[in-house]
Amino acid sequence: MGKKIFMAGSVAFVAILFAWTAARAAEMPNMDTMKKAAEKGAQKVMQTAAPSPTTKAAQAFEKVSKELYPKAKQEGNLIVYSVWDVDHLRAISDAFMKRYPGIKVTYWQARNPEIVTRVLTEFQGGQASVDVILSDNAPPVVRAAGAIANYETIQKDVLYLHDPTMATVSLQIQALSYNTKKIKPADLPKSWEDVANPKFKGMVALDDPMRAGPLSSMLAGLKTQWKDDNRFNNFVKGLKALGVPVHQSTSAMFRLVISGEYAICMPALLHDVMEEKGKGTPVDYVKTVPPVVFPRQAGIYIKAPNPNAAKLFAEWLISTQGQQTIDSVGRESSRKDFKSKTSIESAFPKGTKPVPVTDKLFLEDPKKWLDTNVKPIWEG
Amino acid sequence: MSFSRSGSTTHWSSIKLALRQGTLVPLLASTVAGAVIVTPVLIVLWRSFTTGKLGFSVGLNLNNYLRVFADRDILKMLGNSVFYAAGSAALGTGLGAMLAWIVARTNTPGKALVELMPLYPILMPPIMKNIAWILLLAPRSGILNGMLQQFFGIEALVFNAFSMAGMIWVFGLACVPLGYLFLLPVFLSFDPSLEESAYIAGSRPVHTMMRITFPLAAPAFLSAFVLNFLRGLRSFETPVLQGTPGNIKVFVSRVYDSMALEFNAGLATAYSVVLVVLSVITLYFYVRATRFSERYATITGKGYRVKVIDIGPWKYVTFLAVFLYFLAGIVLPFVVLIVVSMIPYFDYDTFMSFPSNAVLNNYYTVLKHPSFVTGLYNSLVLSVTIAIVTVLAGIVMAFTIHRTRAAGAKIFEFIGTVPLAFPPLVLSVGLVIIFLGTPLYNSLWALGIGLFVAYFPYAFRNASGSIVNIHKELDEAAWVHGARWRHVFFKITLPILKPSVGGALFYIFIEAIRNVDVAVLLTAPGKEYGPVTLFEYFRLGQWAEAAAGGVIYLIILIVAVSVAKFAFKMKFSL
Repeated sequence: MGKKIFMAGSVAFVAILFAWTAARAAEMPNMDTMKKAAEKGAQKVMQTAAPSPTTKAAQAFEKVSKELYPKAKQEGNLIVYSVWDVDHLRAISDAFMKRYPGIKVTYWQARNPEIVTRVLTEFQGGQASVDVILSDNAPPVVRAAGAIANYETIQKDVLYLHDPTMATVSLQIQALSYNTKKIKPADLPKSWEDVANPKFKGMVALDDPMRAGPLSSMLAGLKTQWKDDNRFNNFVKGLKALGVPVHQSTSAMFRLVISGEYAICMPALLHDVMEEKGKGTPVDYVKTVPPVVFPRQAGIYIKAPNPNAAKLFAEWLISTQGQQTIDSVGRESSRKDFKSKTSIESAFPKGTKPVPVTDKLFLEDPKKWLDTNVKPIWEG
Repeated sequence: MSFSRSGSTTHWSSIKLALRQGTLVPLLASTVAGAVIVTPVLIVLWRSFTTGKLGFSVGLNLNNYLRVFADRDILKMLGNSVFYAAGSAALGTGLGAMLAWIVARTNTPGKALVELMPLYPILMPPIMKNIAWILLLAPRSGILNGMLQQFFGIEALVFNAFSMAGMIWVFGLACVPLGYLFLLPVFLSFDPSLEESAYIAGSRPVHTMMRITFPLAAPAFLSAFVLNFLRGLRSFETPVLQGTPGNIKVFVSRVYDSMALEFNAGLATAYSVVLVVLSVITLYFYVRATRFSERYATITGKGYRVKVIDIGPWKYVTFLAVFLYFLAGIVLPFVVLIVVSMIPYFDYDTFMSFPSNAVLNNYYTVLKHPSFVTGLYNSLVLSVTIAIVTVLAGIVMAFTIHRTRAAGAKIFEFIGTVPLAFPPLVLSVGLVIIFLGTPLYNSLWALGIGLFVAYFPYAFRNASGSIVNIHKELDEAAWVHGARWRHVFFKITLPILKPSVGGALFYIFIEAIRNVDVAVLLTAPGKEYGPVTLFEYFRLGQWAEAAAGGVIYLIILIVAVSVAKFAFKMKFSL
């Protein structure tokens, strides 16, 4: 009986084992399936070690460059209107023409109001006169009038501030600067808001907040970041209460801080501070105050006579080579992965969160934004 | 148009006379010049009724004007503007007139030096003077207050660049050249019999000067004053750099804000119209004041010889006056610029440590700049051409007003001056619209015409002020003898106006060579015009490089003027 039970148990065990093995076998893939699975796995691994955004951007740029250059070469020319200094424009166009010898670059340099006036007058007159508007304040204003052709860069993943209609090729970075002979580091404001502290009365050189200048862009950036109207209103009121003179020339204001007329520059451009610091001028900036970043864009004119050259130029400016050229003339890079002395990673402590200026109304119609948000407090 | 002065004279006989004398030619030439000037003005005026923000078209409306009249700050700003412009014009024209009188009519010692000293400050562009004077007069970091504190222990901030007085001082100095160049030819071509009569009657030199000499120079003085006043009304650099930090807002900043903040050329023009109205009022008074032009004729057919007055020991005082102007007008700001161009950065201590800390790298930076030399060369060629064309056209228009019998020619008095009422950027828009779509756009012609429109008022006002001083009997003698207009113009008017022509040529050449504002919208991409580099450095606030560029630029001009004066015996209205 015991033997029978043992036999029956063994048969049952083998049967169960067989059944289980058969069931498992049914579940198991065949060799092909296994091979595919192996390939899939490998792909997954490759995906996790995928090209970094830098590599991807570089690959995408090379691809688009190969596509656009023959067409741009046929166009043969590129006309740029820009607010940038003539020697900067010369360096940039020389580097571009060296890389793309079939394109001849000419440029016209003027201030933002002049650029906007000329482009929009030409636009209304139906003139196909310019390809790229390379500037800070001008491109969004021109776009609002319908004179910019939408173009989204293929290198968008590496940018700090991406705009789907125009390539951001550089940043204007504002820093809280001061004269090292006039104020001790311990006495410095700890934040932008702290500048409005009454103890700094008489020490601050203030940019005019009612013009389209650095201070108004900072206010637009802070208002977006804070999302707190009371805080914003108190800040503007505090600045007003300082009772200090306002300046309409950022550059002259910075010079007056260097000369010792004022101790604190509200605000200064980072590349100016870096350049002067490098020369041994008694000026520095407060590293713990987060920088305000404003996009400098290459907008493509809607009636551009050389649209392919314009796209190629915009892409090249964002490419590593373009950014190196921009950096070499002292302007800030727009890429997150570009390291230089004026890049946010190098110039500010790790983890610093910049204040981006992205308010569409401010960018496209600064007067309206200021009349709504600043004028009632500043002039009220 | 009728060619009769009174309704009683038949129109036909006047037309026949005009045909016989050929005065239709200058009238036609003036009409063409007037049309060139007035077209951009009319375009921008029309757009002030039909446009809003740039790029957006709206129908015919009065919105821009309604906004101007609803502006609650307008009166205060206009008050500031008028005070600033009138103060600067009075200081500049008065000082210029005094210098012209000293140089032309007195026995002040060191003649060669005295003749040249008032001339050199003209060479320094106003923005260079602005920066230099800010460095000198800034309350806390300024050189003069620093010196008062260091050497005299005076702690009070005596000087303040950021005040109305500071603004009038700096812009007033920039107004002196016009006053000087307008008045000098008048004092040089004076009928001495008028003064001699005063002397015979027992009048003393100073008394004669006040009662006879200066009143006779009134048309030229008023002409220069009007021009300087209008320049002051629309001047922008001084109010921005010195006024804003002193909380002094002037009217023209509204025009600028309309363009720079709102991008609304229509509104900017509507604001400019207020300036046009002010200009018309000013011109009305000018025309009224000089309506009996024969009263002011100092050049008559009697023949004249300019008499130098012996002012006794006062001649040392006048020498000192010229020298002090020379110091304030160019030496002081020039020295500041030289030092600033050679020190690592500007503050009082670094400035005072000069020359132990001198460096030359700013000069190297400027000279290796890609467009410094090409820009200078381009503007040199264009400025010479513009100066010649503009001055000739200005004289023809002044001749048409004061010497032909064309009724209504007085309208040219207004047309010839009106571009001055418009800030350059506003006027440039009109010019761009004219040329858009034509082969002239982006050509040197468009730029040349733009500069012609911008500088015509200077040439015209200079000629108008001078021509009034020539008695009509000289032309009438020629007309009676059957001369045609070209004989009168080229054989009588132009030779007598030679000194003032020289001055106007020189002034417009100097102004045009450094023009950036009017030219900017008309410059073709790829063409560098004007000493772009120099002004770019000023604009970017790179004062050390700007100072280095300014020093190089000034040295070139000073050498050019001195060579022209001494080697080629060229006279700049002297």
